[in-house]
Formats: sequence, C-alpha cells, structure tokens
Amino acid sequence: MNIIEVKNFRKSFGPRVIHSDVSFVVKKGECLGLIGGSGTGKSVLLRSLIGLEKPDSGSIIIQGNEISSLPERELVNVRRRVAYAFQDGALFDSMTVYENLAYPLRAHFNMKESEIAERIQSQLNEFGLPEAGQLYPANLSGGMQKRIGLARAMIMNPEVVLYDEPTAGLDPFNTKRIQELILKLKAKGVSSILVTHDMPTAFAVCDDMVFLGGGKVIASGSINDLKNQADGPIQRFINGEL
Amino acid sequence: MTKILNPFYEFITDLIYFLGATGILARNIAIDLLTPPRYPRLLIDQIYHIGQKSLPLVIITSGSMGMVMSLQFGLGLEKFGGKFYVPKVLAVTVLREIGPMFTSLMLAARVGAGITAEIGSMVVTQQIDAIRALGTNPIKKIVIPRFLGCIISIPILCSLANIVGNLGGLIVGTSELNLDANFYILKIVTTVNLKDYLSGFFKTFFFASIISITACHFGLRVGNGTKAVGIATTRSVVVSCILILVCDFFLSKLFWLIEKWI
Repeated sequence: MNIIEVKNFRKSFGPRVIHSDVSFVVKKGECLGLIGGSGTGKSVLLRSLIGLEKPDSGSIIIQGNEISSLPERELVNVRRRVAYAFQDGALFDSMTVYENLAYPLRAHFNMKESEIAERIQSQLNEFGLPEAGQLYPANLSGGMQKRIGLARAMIMNPEVVLYDEPTAGLDPFNTKRIQELILKLKAKGVSSILVTHDMPTAFAVCDDMVFLGGGKVIASGSINDLKNQADGPIQRFINGEL
Repeated sequence: MTKILNPFYEFITDLIYFLGATGILARNIAIDLLTPPRYPRLLIDQIYHIGQKSLPLVIITSGSMGMVMSLQFGLGLEKFGGKFYVPKVLAVTVLREIGPMFTSLMLAARVGAGITAEIGSMVVTQQIDAIRALGTNPIKKIVIPRFLGCIISIPILCSLANIVGNLGGLIVGTSELNLDANFYILKIVTTVNLKDYLSGFFKTFFFASIISITACHFGLRVGNGTKAVGIATTRSVVVSCILILVCDFFLSKLFWLIEKWI
C-alpha cells in the first residue's frame, strides 16, 4: 500500500526551476532515502509533502488524499499524522524544552497535565536527554537541539515522518542512536522519508533510494540493487562525481 | 524616461502588494479571532511587553512633549498677551492630536520594531514553519496575541500620555510662565470635554491596528538571513510612522464630521 505518492512534481522559485518532473512512491513501513547534491531541492520537496511549499504542478497524495491543492486550514489533519523533523530542530526559543514538547500535545489532544508530563519524560528518556526538560534551547548544543526537535516531531505518534538531515552535525554515538530510533519506528510500521548526505545512515535505515539531480529523478530503486552497481549513482555520489 | 519612472512604478507595485497582503492578514486575524483555540497566557505576556515595558518611554516622551509645548506656546502667546491661553490650547492639542499621535509614533518604533524583529527571527530559524508543521496556526499563536496586546495597551498608554503631557505643561506653566497652578488646572477642566478626549482615544485603536498589522506583515515576510530581519524592521517602522501620520489627518477629519453631526 502506497502511503506517499508524488507524481510529476514541479517547483520553481521565479525563473529558477528546482524540480521539473519528480515522481516516486513510499510504501507503508518503508523508509525512502532522498539523496542528491547540495541545492538539488531535497528539502523543498520534503517541505512540499506537508504543504509548507506549494508545487507549481503535479500531485502529492498522502494516505490517499491529494494535499497539494489543500488550503492551509485543511492541512492541519495531514500535519497531525505526518511529522517533520527540521534540520536544526526549529525549537521555539522562548519556551523550555518541556514546553516545546508539550506544545503539539496541548494543541491536538485533550490530555491532563500529568499525562503530558509523563509522555514528555518518556520521550526525553528515549532520546537520551532525561534532564533537559527545564532548559531553554539556547542552553543546548546543536546536537541536543536536533534530538529535541526529533522528539517533538515524534511525540504525536505520527504515521509518517519526514527527516531533514537528522544526523548532520551529530557525533557517531548520537548518529547511531538516531539510526536506532528510525529503525524502531520503522518496525512499528511508520513510513518515512530521509533526506541526508550521510550515506552510512542511509544504508542502515533506508529500503529504497531516490537520487535527485537537475530537477529530476536520475536513479531510483532498492538500496541493495543500487549499492551493488559498480558504476551506479551511489558509488558516483560517494566518489563526488554526482 | 524609464529610469525616471522605474522608482514610481516600484513604489506603486510595492504599495499595492502591501495593501493586498495586509488586507489578507487583517481578514485572517478577524476570522481566527472568532474561533478557538485561544492563547490567553500569550496575550497577557504581550500586554506586559507592549504595555508595561513601554511605560517609561511613554512617560518621559509625553512629559517632555508637554513641557516643550507649554514653553513654546507661552513664549509665543506672551507677545500678544495671550499667555493665559496656554492651559486651554495645550490641553486640547494634547488630548486631540499630540498625545495619541506622538505616543503611537513612539510605540511604532519600540513595539513595531520589536514585533517585526522577533517574528522575522522566528521565520529565519524556521520556528514559524515548525508552528505550521505541528498542525497549528501562526496567526493564532503569533499574530493575534500581538494584535490584541497592541489594541489593549496602546489606548491605555495614550490616555496616560495625555495626563503626563498636561502635567508637563503644568510644571512649565507654573515655573517658567508664572501661571498659578490652580488657575492652570481650572482652565484645563473648564475647557476640555469628553469629545476632545474621545476624539483622540478612538484614533489610538486605528493606530494600534496599523502598528501591529504592519509589524506582523513585515515580520512574516522576512527573506533569508539576519540582514533581511534588519531591513524588514526598518521598513516596518517607517511604514507604520507614515501610515499613522497620513491616517491621523483622515481620522481627525472623520471625527470632526462625526462631532458636527452629533
């Protein structure tokens, strides 16, 4: 079953065409790696999947619903089920970590404050930051902010998670921890798209890959097939030729 | 010829764009004001930041303004033997025009710049995107508390500025112009009426809307990078001040017609 379907996606900013024709699908419980050089529009594509950007043409279907033409107010239902993990966390700097994590819970669920506190503590434990609740984002390192951003994205138990470079700037220990979290969510049937330049992480967690370049998909397929091609896109990307 | 016309063309297109975008923002505020969720804690925070934290600025500027005006009126009218009219002229001028307008200009600089810079920084650091991505509405969470904060705080601050401005005038009137304090107060009380006060007071709601909507508009439309935040902040203050001054004339005319009609 396809959870995400992108068909003939086109996006430009003024005269600059970012994507001219991009199509791919993500199946239930699958993790798709979106790979490409810097400036190939991976993040733009990811943002379009939750309506933060509108495509010029083409369709984006999430769980059977066309979302590219939905007005802002109707995108709320999609955004409750599809989480977006921002590259730098995008934490609210006027709120503590606790308030950041409580924000989506208070907005969407009728939960008691004790239940919210319990959920937040378990989420902080899972992300290895059990004592960060009362700290402000400014008091956290870049890597910690990223992990809190991921924790906030996942606190609503989403059905789909969009990761925008979740391991960029993290040390190997925390990179491994994030990989394990993505795999854990995958095991629960959560579908995901991973935008990354970190190929070991992509190999560790992705099932399929889509290579973007020149506004188009230049290669796609299962990770094993692509990995085994001696002169394939993965090898050329790693060698800096793509 | 094209070179000469280009700035005018750009100005007109920018103006049309600004009016359209702020019109849409005002409409969204009106729609979202009526529907839950509401954030009363954020509103209280904004009233504190916009209202209470602006108090020293409003007191100092309105007091100085009243003192300077009293001195200038006194020196000017003394030549014609009209020094005794200073309390009357000053009180009406402060209540109808100078109090609301001067205070609003000060607040456009302090509050408007603060709102634009804060929202602009949130745009640059993707916090506004995060609000949207978490299925919540930045108009409700960011814009409405600031809009209501201005609508509640600015009329109160302007009323306070009216009092402090007249007190400043009283101090200079008694110390520099040798007017009797009781005479000064009596002249104010017998000259000004409720219409004078309300004419200025109602203007402040329009000025508060101009400051908050303009500041939020420029904040939400910040481009990439911190330089864009600075540019947006400057534009927000300049545009708010121009709009306040231009609208002040039309509002004065409108209230004058209403007063005549009543």
